[in-house]
Amino acid sequence: MTTLTYQRPTSLREALETGGSDGARFVSGGTDLMVQRRSGRSGTENLVSLRRVEELAGIDWKNDQLRIGAAVPLAGIGADQRIARDFPALAQAIAALGSVQIRNVATLGGNLCNASPAADTAPALLAYEARIEIANTGGTRTVGLDEFFTGPGSTVLQPGELLTAILLDARQSAGSAFMRLGRVRMDLAIASAAALVEIEDNRCTHARVAVGAVAPTPLRLSAVEEILEGKAPDGPTLAKAQAAVDALISPISDLRASARHRRRITPVLVARALEAAISMATGDAQ
Amino acid sequence: MSSLRHVGTSPPRPEGGDKVGGRARYIHDITVPGMLHGAIRYSDHAHARIRRIDTSRAEALPGVRAVITAFNTPEIIIGFMGDNPVLKKDKVRQFRDELAAVAAEDAETARAAAELIEVEYEPLPGVFSVEEALAEGAPLIHETDRRGKPLSSNRLPLIFGHDSGDLAAGETAAAFVAEGSFSTPLIQQSCMGTAGALAEFDSNGNLTITAKTQIPFLAQRDFTKAMASLGLKGCSVRVVVPTLGGGFGTGLDTHVYEYISILLAWRTGKPVRVLYNREQEFAYLSPRQSTESRVRQGCDKQGRLTFRSVEVVQDNGAYASWGATYPSVMLLPTTSLYRVPAVRFRSDIVYTNNTYCQAMRGYGNPEVTLGIESTLDELAELSGIDPLEIRRINCNQPGEVTPMGLKVGTCGLAECLDRAGERSAWSEKRGQGRATSRGIGISSLIHVGGGGKIYRSDGSGIILKLDDYGVVHVNYGGVEMGQGLHSAISLMVADGLGVKPSSVIVNQTDTATCPWDVGTHASRGAFMAGNAALKACAKLRARLFEWAPRVYGDLVAENIKRARRRDGDFDPGFTEELLAKLTPGQFELLDGELFPHGETGLPPLEDAPWLKVDLGRFLRAVHFPRAGGAGTVFTEEAFYEPATELPDWEKGYGNMSASYTYGCQAIEVEVDQETGQVTVLKLVSALDVGRVLNPQTLKGQVYGGIAQGLGYALYEEVKTEGGRVLNPGFTDYKLPTASEMAFPIELEFVETDDASGPFGAKGVGEPGLVPTAPAMANAIQDAIGVRIRDLPITPEKILDALAARDGA
Repeated sequence: MTTLTYQRPTSLREALETGGSDGARFVSGGTDLMVQRRSGRSGTENLVSLRRVEELAGIDWKNDQLRIGAAVPLAGIGADQRIARDFPALAQAIAALGSVQIRNVATLGGNLCNASPAADTAPALLAYEARIEIANTGGTRTVGLDEFFTGPGSTVLQPGELLTAILLDARQSAGSAFMRLGRVRMDLAIASAAALVEIEDNRCTHARVAVGAVAPTPLRLSAVEEILEGKAPDGPTLAKAQAAVDALISPISDLRASARHRRRITPVLVARALEAAISMATGDAQ
Repeated sequence: MSSLRHVGTSPPRPEGGDKVGGRARYIHDITVPGMLHGAIRYSDHAHARIRRIDTSRAEALPGVRAVITAFNTPEIIIGFMGDNPVLKKDKVRQFRDELAAVAAEDAETARAAAELIEVEYEPLPGVFSVEEALAEGAPLIHETDRRGKPLSSNRLPLIFGHDSGDLAAGETAAAFVAEGSFSTPLIQQSCMGTAGALAEFDSNGNLTITAKTQIPFLAQRDFTKAMASLGLKGCSVRVVVPTLGGGFGTGLDTHVYEYISILLAWRTGKPVRVLYNREQEFAYLSPRQSTESRVRQGCDKQGRLTFRSVEVVQDNGAYASWGATYPSVMLLPTTSLYRVPAVRFRSDIVYTNNTYCQAMRGYGNPEVTLGIESTLDELAELSGIDPLEIRRINCNQPGEVTPMGLKVGTCGLAECLDRAGERSAWSEKRGQGRATSRGIGISSLIHVGGGGKIYRSDGSGIILKLDDYGVVHVNYGGVEMGQGLHSAISLMVADGLGVKPSSVIVNQTDTATCPWDVGTHASRGAFMAGNAALKACAKLRARLFEWAPRVYGDLVAENIKRARRRDGDFDPGFTEELLAKLTPGQFELLDGELFPHGETGLPPLEDAPWLKVDLGRFLRAVHFPRAGGAGTVFTEEAFYEPATELPDWEKGYGNMSASYTYGCQAIEVEVDQETGQVTVLKLVSALDVGRVLNPQTLKGQVYGGIAQGLGYALYEEVKTEGGRVLNPGFTDYKLPTASEMAFPIELEFVETDDASGPFGAKGVGEPGLVPTAPAMANAIQDAIGVRIRDLPITPEKILDALAARDGA
């Protein structure tokens, strides 16, 4: 018989101390980890639950700065009116992720730490230039989300370290959107894209574009952003941006889709996310 | 039969509350004292000789009670071709081949022990496609047949064919010819309730097995044969069917895991349960066969079909289940969907080292309807005739005899086409949506509606037993598996006998208490149960009415006495001599109340409610006669055997069903030409059901069929590589969910009142699934001008086809 230990610390300090022990693994919603355990892909037998850790549980605003605790269930973030207004791409990504039941237990921190290249919230958070707060027994540090992922299933987190919060700055004049495709609605993304733009006097002053499921990690597409910035957000610019996507991604073929198919649809998703973001940004300006 | 009071209404299903409330007992809920848990060790190779099996480490594990292999257990060979040993001795032929099994005190120990079994193999080259299997010099999967006669090919010796009319003349007469190659995937039946069995022996060697089966009596026959191998000849086998979470064809054969539970129970002397979880169900349970077909048909300038040729090749996998005989049903649409004067059918069923396949809803019908309905659309385009119109031109007619010898009784296909055309706004939409990538497509279907004779009997027995309180207990050998059979039985018995549906209890299916039934397949459950029930009801009513004159007068006299007690001046308005003159033919039973009818001289019932006698009271009076003497109890049985023929399969000829169900579906879609995504906008189904028994249950059957049809058309596929299943779970095997079904579905039911059916009803279990994929392919073609002939129609295939058309 195999035994499983399950501990439920209530403070960050306690969590860091428990989680630092050998073979321990932090678990939040468990919607990825428990599936991996059952299929034998994770042998973790020593789980440290983050669900009762107070410091990880809140959604806090300071002016336009948002701090989302790592263990907040996605359903809670998706239901937040101000997040839906200021970070619509994140709300759209959460709405596309799993089922109601999954969103009731899965957390934003868990979605990022699982580090799936297809993580639905990652492209949206990349477009918002989210920063990640990391704690260890020595203190906290902050990294940009674009530096957080190091490969499929791996991040910059060191053993015993904990992702404590996701930090976001709202850009009130921006428009943003998220698009994704699966084989059916409830599926891992076969490709996803998020875009954020600011438009002034029919000129794109700021652009952020990110994609998912088409590279070893969720990916910012800086070259596409450069094509957009300083240009009129019109058909020819969008066509150029769409055409630039292919060279930036490195999709694989798997059971969900072929690399060739991902190469065909990703530029389309990027263009559609941009169109939706532009329409929102220009709508706001009027 | 009394009048139609409950048939056609939608009371809640009798078992519905228990299912929703968690009270229903599925195989997973059933445990018995002392029960052990079984686990199976499967092959590590798709094709290999077995050199050695070492079970010593498994046997040493604490909690393990028995480990069985072919080397320490009597040989049992299963399958109707006799090609599948329960425990493999000489070689393995697929990844799911069973090498050993363990019984242990808990499931985890059993699984761990199964993994500790060491097997040495000598790998053999495998064949993983029909082409490889039929190639010159291909390795043989079975070297000998069941009698030990050497085999020379991987082709199964099963011949299904058909030739009728003058094919050459049909070709000559054709002004237009359409031809195409089509393929359909391996798919999983995906029952919500996964498989399992619980076997137990009593001390006399009698076996009781609780099994997830659709064929309790054929299973009893199979298990009885196996008992002889265990030295238990003459002992009884009792098959009990628990609540099933779906069948869809998975219960049409007996399965190795069932025999393993029997062998382990026999070896340990303890009850043993074997269960499959979802991943095991995907990896170790037989899916639907994949097929490749070539369809060619032609029509004259007026659109009348002049010939049709269908050739099918099935990848059967390593062993033969009844699913190998899909061509028996492929013959239906091939010969008898629309009127075709010359028809040719050929089939090849081929062993490979892939997972072996079994039955699934539709049983070969959707596989060939895809090609027939797709090429029919192509003929419509070539001849310049609207696709709905070409279907009307060739529409089957009531009373016709088809090239297969099917005697079509009622046929509502013409009305189905009209109603589907109207409800889908066909004439406004067809060919009009190209600019917006919208399209509409249609496909018809034929299926057996009055049983399907594929065995020497297609019969069904039933026992109706009345208790002392007016409740009818029904013992029927068919299986409720979620389709609503018990609801249909309760309504039909209610109207057939004259009681309320709530007074009809359908008991658990059990070979010890129910009479023989061939199985719940071929859309036959409600049709057979209803016909058998009506026969038994007629006998029961005759006996009840025969007894009525002896006690009825006394019971009414009591009613009158009671009325007088309340009202001293009460006058019934007739003399009690009239009651004494009543004859058996002057009684009626309705909603559990017995009363006189016809010319009796008695006042009308509405003026004389005291003439009504509660059935329970009547039964007690008959059971315990006040005048003394012997009373009686009421139990009646009936066996219904439809007047059908077991076809000659080589000739593809014989009237296999008592009636035929026709229908069609029209689907409207929008295709995203940049991503290949298909969005269904609307689906209209029109089905000739003979008679609606329970509208709600009927809708459920059709909605469910459409959901499965949608999955077959767009999403579902078991992917394999070198014989191994790559997507054993719902992570990578995609079923449509509520999100994919979020389009309007309109259902039309045409009631043709077929003389062979109970209350005129036809079987409706399978048809919902049959026309969905071809209607989808036709709709996508209408939307974007490309035709996909290969299921499932994925976005990837759509973009490939668009790119090929545009020469990209």
